[in-house]
Amino acid sequence: MNHQSGSSILEVEKLNVFYGNFHAVSDVSFNVKAGEIFGLLGPNGAGKTSTLSSIEGLLKPQSGEITVAGFNIRKQPLQAKANMGVQLQSTSFQPELTITEIIKLFAGIYGINLTSEKLNAILQDIKLENAASKKFGQLSGGQQQRVSLVISTIHDPILAMLDEPTTGLDPQSRRQLWERIEAIREKGHAVLLTTHSMEEAEAVCDRIAIIDHGKVIAINTPQTLIDENRNNPDVISVSRKGKITLEDVFIGLTGKTVRS
Amino acid sequence: MEAIIPKSSDAFLSLMRADFITQWRNRRAVIMSLLVPVIILVSWKGVIDKLGAAFALSISLTIGLTSIGIMGYAISISRDRDKGVFQRLRVTPVPTFYIMLSRLIVQLAMIILLVIFVFIVGYKYDKIVLSAGGYAITFITAIIGGALYLGLGQMIVGRIKNAETVNSTSRLIYIAFLILGMFGELGLFGIQLKNIVHWSPFGTVKTILAVGMEPSTWNYQTTIALFVTLGYAIIFSFLGIKWFRWDSR
Repeated sequence: MNHQSGSSILEVEKLNVFYGNFHAVSDVSFNVKAGEIFGLLGPNGAGKTSTLSSIEGLLKPQSGEITVAGFNIRKQPLQAKANMGVQLQSTSFQPELTITEIIKLFAGIYGINLTSEKLNAILQDIKLENAASKKFGQLSGGQQQRVSLVISTIHDPILAMLDEPTTGLDPQSRRQLWERIEAIREKGHAVLLTTHSMEEAEAVCDRIAIIDHGKVIAINTPQTLIDENRNNPDVISVSRKGKITLEDVFIGLTGKTVRS
Repeated sequence: MEAIIPKSSDAFLSLMRADFITQWRNRRAVIMSLLVPVIILVSWKGVIDKLGAAFALSISLTIGLTSIGIMGYAISISRDRDKGVFQRLRVTPVPTFYIMLSRLIVQLAMIILLVIFVFIVGYKYDKIVLSAGGYAITFITAIIGGALYLGLGQMIVGRIKNAETVNSTSRLIYIAFLILGMFGELGLFGIQLKNIVHWSPFGTVKTILAVGMEPSTWNYQTTIALFVTLGYAIIFSFLGIKWFRWDSR
């Protein structure tokens, strides 16, 4: 089955996650298409991580259906996981392993035959050819994120899931990572991205969903969301520069209260 | 276009290679697991004639196995769980039991290494020689005893989420085993405690190891000790797996 641009790669249908009596994710539905970067935005505790964890198979939702490239994550978890590449928010690898060993480990897990030439090419691509024997913890934040991203996409997955990939990066590293994320899209693959940066969402996402109190409260292209909420009093009241931005829309829709 | 599921054997071999490299880089912990049993063997040289070679070797091995299961295994699992290493592996198309199986194989290798090391030191330093059957049965009883302590380690990481607490708890339990096990069975803390220690996870493992080294002395009591050891191993492993969470948060 070939995935043409516009066909759905990830389908999330009426997802519900509870922690005891707390309804963390409530009837969340969205899809991510081939050749699309989809942003999942929301304040802290809104349900983003629970949604993402359910898609990644780390969390068992109480109800709802999730399919990745046509494979149901609960019924065919290995097939679904083979089709996705995941970059977790706080990625950590065995601290004793070098970068080369970490890349080899994940290449082996995904059944990739990694020759020395291929490995060198990967290291050169992420500009870490001189850090091949360093441990992950010895790298800078930007270098760690590049390693994480290359490992997440080492098997050329049809869906890349990136959880706050640019947090803590300097502008240069962030731009570089955006280019890498856009390169995934250029291949016709899908990207699901979470971020707290509205600038990032506006710059790289084709569509975004804003999630709050476990529910999707808005879903569209960044520009359409801005246009739709241009006259929303809640949005106007939080606007700081007279010009409505995505951040104004986000704060207008989710409220000014700081979440824990 | 979709990736096919990678061959399980490739994925498992990659995991195992990484786990063995990790163990190798943690050489200090490996040396500590081997050092304490050796210190016991060396320091007990003068009393081996009185207590018997099997007694000294079995005490050394039991303490080594305790160290591997409670200190080595439990602490490394809790540390990696805390760092999110398992979560990173769980989002890949690897069956989750492979992740643990790979870790357990490394520990099995450690148990075999420990037995060989103790045999060599016992032979070189204390001139202890066992029969071929004694050596063979000791490997089997050491693996069974090792399973008990790995189960106990699993139970500790299952019950306690915080890595620091696992670290300190494991050390406390190890020291308690060391003191009560070594001296309790000698009757230094009274007859009642001697009986408790005899049927404790330390005592039953020590019994099957000691008797296994002299297969001709195997009796009904030893068979009971073997079943009790297996029972402990099954219960600890069952509870450890049941309580275990991949994420420490």
